[in-house]
Amino acid sequence: MSLAHEPPTRAAQTPVVIEELRKIYHADRAELAVRAVDGISFRIERGESVAIVGPSGCGKSTLLHVLGCLDRPTSGRYFLEGRDVARLDEDERAAARNRHIGFVFQSFNLLPRMDAVENVELPLLYAGQRDTRARALRALERVGLADRAHHRPNELSGGQKQRVAIARALVTEPSIVLGDEPTGALDSRTGREVMELLGRLHAEGTTIVLVTHDLSVARSQDRVIRMRDGKIVGDGPAAAEIEAFVQENAGEIA
Amino acid sequence: MLIHETARTAWRSLAQNRLRTALTALGMIIGVTAVIAVLAIGEGAKASVEGRIRALGSNLLTVRPERAQGAVRSARVETLVRADADAIAELDGVEGVSPESTGTAQVKYREANLSSSIQGVTADFLPLRSLDVASGIGFSPDDDLGRARVAILGANVAYELFGDRSAIGERIQIAGNGFTVVGVLGAKGDVGFMSPDDMVLVPLGTHEGVLFGQSYLGAITVKVRSEGESEDVRERIGELLRLRHRLRADAPDDFEIRSQTEMLATMGAITGTFTALLGSVAAVSLLVGGIGIMNIMLVSVRERTREIGVRMAVGARRRDILLQFLVEAVVVSIFGGLVGIFLGWLAAFAIARFGGWETIIPTYAYGLALGVSIAIGIVFGVGPARRASTLDPVEALRQE
Ligand SMILES: Nc1ncnc2c1ncn2[C@@H]1O[C@H](COP(=O)(O)OP(=O)(O)O)[C@@H](O)[C@H]1O
Ligand SMILES: [Mg+2]
Repeated sequence: MSLAHEPPTRAAQTPVVIEELRKIYHADRAELAVRAVDGISFRIERGESVAIVGPSGCGKSTLLHVLGCLDRPTSGRYFLEGRDVARLDEDERAAARNRHIGFVFQSFNLLPRMDAVENVELPLLYAGQRDTRARALRALERVGLADRAHHRPNELSGGQKQRVAIARALVTEPSIVLGDEPTGALDSRTGREVMELLGRLHAEGTTIVLVTHDLSVARSQDRVIRMRDGKIVGDGPAAAEIEAFVQENAGEIA
Repeated sequence: MLIHETARTAWRSLAQNRLRTALTALGMIIGVTAVIAVLAIGEGAKASVEGRIRALGSNLLTVRPERAQGAVRSARVETLVRADADAIAELDGVEGVSPESTGTAQVKYREANLSSSIQGVTADFLPLRSLDVASGIGFSPDDDLGRARVAILGANVAYELFGDRSAIGERIQIAGNGFTVVGVLGAKGDVGFMSPDDMVLVPLGTHEGVLFGQSYLGAITVKVRSEGESEDVRERIGELLRLRHRLRADAPDDFEIRSQTEMLATMGAITGTFTALLGSVAAVSLLVGGIGIMNIMLVSVRERTREIGVRMAVGARRRDILLQFLVEAVVVSIFGGLVGIFLGWLAAFAIARFGGWETIIPTYAYGLALGVSIAIGIVFGVGPARRASTLDPVEALRQE
């Protein structure tokens, strides 16, 4: 399914559209070049929840960094809320991260010397907004941690930390929440709790893209994208893609 | 991000790393302390010079021989004689004259031995210079005429030779000749050269006839009746001496007349130069302080790379990061400046209390110290801050 010739007006209605996206590390030296993302196209509609799966090193994180405007692609097009990201300058990219993207990391990435509510407040401060404290507290309430607002990260469990990080990702009401193995550092029970939270947020209308190893996490999304060597090898409803993924890996092991 | 949020963030980061903050500020603290102390000493020295000018009044003139033009540098200056002094004494408006001869000689008392400035003076010297003996007596005109072997010691000389014992009536040796100490001057506590504390006074006749065998004067001090007449008297002395020395109309003066005020003004200028010199040395330590800030800020940027990545990921612009680290550097340097001002004030107080030097912190020094601190924070903070702000977000997040 090619989106390359879709007119931009249609893209404007879609949070994320990428076309023939490539990220090649060391592109200038052929013997060192790594084609981490190698010509990927897809679109993500508002309210969708998508899991990206694939073997380690296949380019999932790289793709997510490009989607999160943390990294620039080597080539290809990326429309975020209809705007061509390649045309944004540094400040506009920072503003895009601030307003349209909520990033959730495997290792939480909370600032250790700030308490929970201050961590959640941070994007609002960079947005130059008022009333930041009240909005941060409301976001903490949404993830069920209002009572931990003044705890520092080292006073919180792993699951609680990730919920604070999710509150931080949500607080600016972004177009899309990106998670790079958000349950990867959690035990299975707290991982499930975090997934339940993300499921609830999705039900409330949040658009979510997750990179995951965990097939049960992938199964609970609407759609699964399978990657291999920087390319998409499958993109469709979760159940079908996971079946394909399992068979593929089983074949490899055998 | 709003500037007060940036300042708050910077302040918190500093408050949470108290030891590192203190170490970062240490160089600044030392530098500012040194600058404040030096300025206080300089200002104090200036004030004490000015105090001496006031105490002396401006009605003293000093006549010195001037090397004749064309003479080689090392030529002895032999133009002023006692007869010149006697003639000046007869001029209108002159209240008194003190012809003086200078020399340096070894002064001995038993085992104690020092090289001292030996001044040949008449009985008029002490009253003219507003000096007085603390113990013993001054010279009489007979001492001068009879080339008496008597001496009056400056306070420091007396202390070095005799310690706390009385020197009066003791016999000392000046350049191998036996002298009797008849008086000791009260201590003036002056810093600087030509302080009477460091002199040995002998009768002028003795100085010429016994010790140095020369009849030329080093100086004639003239006391003018009133300050207003000072310029007139100076002119009269000039005319008189040109006449007495038979100088042709086109020949330059072979003497120089300066008021005491001018001489002290020169001393004041020298003090100022010293202050400036020491001040620049202190300023170098400020530079070192600035480099210290830069150093620790660079370490801090490295340590907090991941934090920088997180801030960028949630929407910090490069300029937000730049400002955050810059503000941190400036806050540290202002903190260092304030502590330095306080310690400099303490140092100035201690120097005055225990060192016996007058110290005054000029008010501009506070503003200067603070301004320089801020400037150093900016100058040395901007490099590390730029480094922080140009980090690649993905690389930064990968750290650790
Ligand atoms: N900064 C980089 N420089 C060079 N190669 C990189 C860099 N980052 C990632 N890669 C390579 O790109 C490929 C994809 O990495 P990544 O996106 O992290 O994979 P995944 O998240 O799917 O495990 C890997 O081969 C990795 O070694
Ligand atoms: Mg990865």
